[in-house]
Amino acid sequence: MLPDIDEALRYLGGGSHPPEELRQQAAAVAEELAAQVQPRYTYKLFPLVREADGFRLDGTELLLSGQTAQRMLSQCGQAVLLACTLGTKFDTMVRSAQARDMARAVILDACGSALVEQGCDEAERDIAARFPGLYLTDRFSPGYGDLPLSLQPAICAVLDAERRLGIHVTSSFLMNPSKSVTAVIGLSDKPQMARIRGCAWCAMRDTCTLRKGGKSCGL
Amino acid sequence: MAFDFFDPTREFLILDGAMGTVLQQRGLPPGGQPELLNLTDPALLRSVYEEYIQAGSQVIYANTFGANGLKLARTGHSVEEIVTAAISITKESAAGTGVRVALDMGPLGELLEPMGTLPFERAYELFREMAMAGEKAGADLVAIETMTDLYETKAALLAVKENTSLPVLVTMSFEERGRTFTGCTVSAMARTLEGLGADAIGLNCSLGPDKLAPLLAELCRNTRLPVVAKPNAGLPDPVDGHYDMGPEAFAAALLPCVEAGVTVVGGCCGTSPEYIRRLKAALAGKTPAPRTYDDTCCVCTPVTTCRLDGVRVIGERVNPTGKKRFQQALLENDLDYILDVAIQQEDAGADILDVNVGFPGVDEVAMLPRVVKHLQSALSLPLQLDSSNPAALEAGLRVYNGKAAVNSVNGEAEVLDRILPIVKKYGAAVVGLTLDKGGIPQSAEQRVAIARRILDAALSYGIPREDVWIDCLTLTVSAQQEQAAETLKAVHAVRHELGLQTVLGVSNISFGLPNRPLITQSFLTQAMYAGLTLPIINPNQKAMMDAIAAFRVLSGEDAQCQAYIDRFAEESAPAAAPAASGSMTLEDAIVRGLQADAAALAKAALETEEELSLVENRLIPALDLVGERYEKGKAFLPQLLGAAQAAQAVFEVIRTSIAQKGGTPVKKGRLVIATVHGDIHDIGKNIVRTVLENYGYEVLDLGRDVPPEVIVKTVAEHDIHLVGLSALMTTTLPAMEETIRQLRALPQPPVTFVGGAVVTPEYASQMGADYYAKDARQSVEIARKVLG
Repeated sequence: MLPDIDEALRYLGGGSHPPEELRQQAAAVAEELAAQVQPRYTYKLFPLVREADGFRLDGTELLLSGQTAQRMLSQCGQAVLLACTLGTKFDTMVRSAQARDMARAVILDACGSALVEQGCDEAERDIAARFPGLYLTDRFSPGYGDLPLSLQPAICAVLDAERRLGIHVTSSFLMNPSKSVTAVIGLSDKPQMARIRGCAWCAMRDTCTLRKGGKSCGL
Repeated sequence: MAFDFFDPTREFLILDGAMGTVLQQRGLPPGGQPELLNLTDPALLRSVYEEYIQAGSQVIYANTFGANGLKLARTGHSVEEIVTAAISITKESAAGTGVRVALDMGPLGELLEPMGTLPFERAYELFREMAMAGEKAGADLVAIETMTDLYETKAALLAVKENTSLPVLVTMSFEERGRTFTGCTVSAMARTLEGLGADAIGLNCSLGPDKLAPLLAELCRNTRLPVVAKPNAGLPDPVDGHYDMGPEAFAAALLPCVEAGVTVVGGCCGTSPEYIRRLKAALAGKTPAPRTYDDTCCVCTPVTTCRLDGVRVIGERVNPTGKKRFQQALLENDLDYILDVAIQQEDAGADILDVNVGFPGVDEVAMLPRVVKHLQSALSLPLQLDSSNPAALEAGLRVYNGKAAVNSVNGEAEVLDRILPIVKKYGAAVVGLTLDKGGIPQSAEQRVAIARRILDAALSYGIPREDVWIDCLTLTVSAQQEQAAETLKAVHAVRHELGLQTVLGVSNISFGLPNRPLITQSFLTQAMYAGLTLPIINPNQKAMMDAIAAFRVLSGEDAQCQAYIDRFAEESAPAAAPAASGSMTLEDAIVRGLQADAAALAKAALETEEELSLVENRLIPALDLVGERYEKGKAFLPQLLGAAQAAQAVFEVIRTSIAQKGGTPVKKGRLVIATVHGDIHDIGKNIVRTVLENYGYEVLDLGRDVPPEVIVKTVAEHDIHLVGLSALMTTTLPAMEETIRQLRALPQPPVTFVGGAVVTPEYASQMGADYYAKDARQSVEIARKVLG
């Protein structure tokens, strides 16, 4: 899987017409990255148990509370927990690139951001194929809407993400390796509308430079 | 009687299977902390152990995998309490059966530096606490398992070896492509852990025995130790969590591992007592397979193993001798300069880097480990630690990740007795110089005699023969012409009669002669023909690397001449941009991010212009131009950084020029930057630093996850007037606020500016920061206002 270069260039700012030289540089970095690092993911299916404060993943103590979970999962009987990462190898590459060439390092970082999202997309396709006849909600992550970041350790524990993927959660709920994502995807027997695309749902909405300039990244 | 992995009365040793899987089958919810069961449900644990013992396990692992101080911190229970309870339950189960009890130590749950923020020394303390509690409670051995980081594994192994007398079995988890999550290879694991004194090593978890078999075969070739296999029952299903390999298939798939040389077996995730029973049955009547050890010397880092089966280049440039700029970097603690010197050698094709930081005014015992850590954070090559100070060597070897080399000892008994025990303890290779109290012997025979003495001493300390490298010493040919031939003769004898690796710093040969490269290159070629395997050279000198490339063709090492052809194919390609050509100005070169051109143009400019004027009148206006374009959304971040790096190349020219004249460096003003406590993502802060430095500011970068107290202390000690703080996550904004609060409480509070993904101008003012910087460019504006 090659990182999406347009996506990576969007993360690097600077408008809609990147110079050809930069595009070529990004393409070379993307190729080098893909040769060394591919996203890895794991997921697990849980029946959802409705409780007063939210949805509990059956067989665990994990409770998805708040309005985001309420809205996203209202028509779902089951949910998938997903974790995806580029691993520490990516961070090592960025560290090494920073010591050699900072400009290249930020391109690599942007390519990594694109690649881990693509890994989630692939996992989502895998999940959809695995449960024909069921409809998937958009995936949503701790930090989106009011789904608390503090769920991160429990999600990773239930997925055994440290052992399976090498994902660690710090005491301030950051995931390490840096390009790691956890997400919840609801499964329903009714078609699910796209709910959380767009700036209104983005964790970056207050600080995004594209948005300040009246633009959107298109997600 | 102490437990012995090599007990000749036992052909195979059978370990236990999974604990977590069995507990989950009995209703323990996933994601809980199973170590607490040692207090709450000993009967459940005992029933599992008893089943494993009945199935044939000869060693059972106590339920202590995650019983470390980090993971237990929130439970209200101490490590000693849990470990003592766990060992006693396990011992009760094993009583009267002859079955041995292992203290189980898994990963700590936080990544070590440089991947995470847990220091190596802290990891060591956490493992030490467990190991000591385990021995006290009566464990027969220690099992370090499911490790993916070689550095963390080293901390655990050292903690056991230094604080207990228990034997220790170490297993790591690999992916199918032969790497752990952190990139460690099988050979690096084997070479490092055997050197550090593990009693048995192997693989556990992650995959089924079928997928682990080729990796186990590789492991068997790379170690003399007993090899352990404790695989999963295949792969888990994401929907129901069941593993796809049944007991019968598991036992059958383990047999090829046994045929490859594995003698210690058990199961990991997904296995149960039934798997162990089948495994035991499958082993009945089998005998251990013969093993062949590859005794070629290897030095390594986790990701790169350098196997000494041909000529390997040791880069000599990380050394202050005769280099003013390097000396200045050492005195100023400028580790990035040292890293840069190292990176250039890696990129030029060095295989191993010599690291020497000895210089008057430098505390080598503190500096060597710091430099080792810093180099290993961004480099993948093995290092050769070069010092005559035993304390510095020990400090450096202790924090080195992998198997290093030590340079050097000589034939003096006192030196050998001081250094060789350290070399043995940390499993390093060692360079022996063929000189002694009497100086450098004049004849080859006498030098070979010293080499023999060094070899014998090393062997007597238990250092394997292949890890002894001999330096027969190069003397200056213009002063002692007959000595060149003696050196070559000695190299030949050490290589071909003693069969040892040979080291030689070759450039000394040509001192005092015109056209030095010709003499050095000719001598290098002759020496390689005589048997030199480890030339110490400057790999940035193309003539030397060319001679080695040619030698590898002629010796047959470079199969089909492929490396040679590739080397010169690259060279004949047209250069991208001819340096400092025609009409390009210094400003153009900076704006376009052309580092080599910028440096060349700066050098030329310095012939007519003062350093300071070059910075003020040409460099900074050029940077401003790109900065303004970036601000208007007309340039991308990489372009801004490209210009900054070209400016950095210019600064390097200026620094060198000033260092040569002995003047004071150009510095505009000093500030502190840091990523706040709890935050580990620091590329944004590093971008700010790159840009600020290339405007001439001196940036004290305190790194990431920096506690407020450290920032406050630095500000007070260094009389700092400006502090930049970065935070990426909402969860770390409180740490930013606290840092600002503490800074404002200082008698002379510095000006603060903040930035990072989640920081807004509103948050900034609420927190009491003086400025909000939306990007690196704005931080320059702020620095200008505050520092000028």
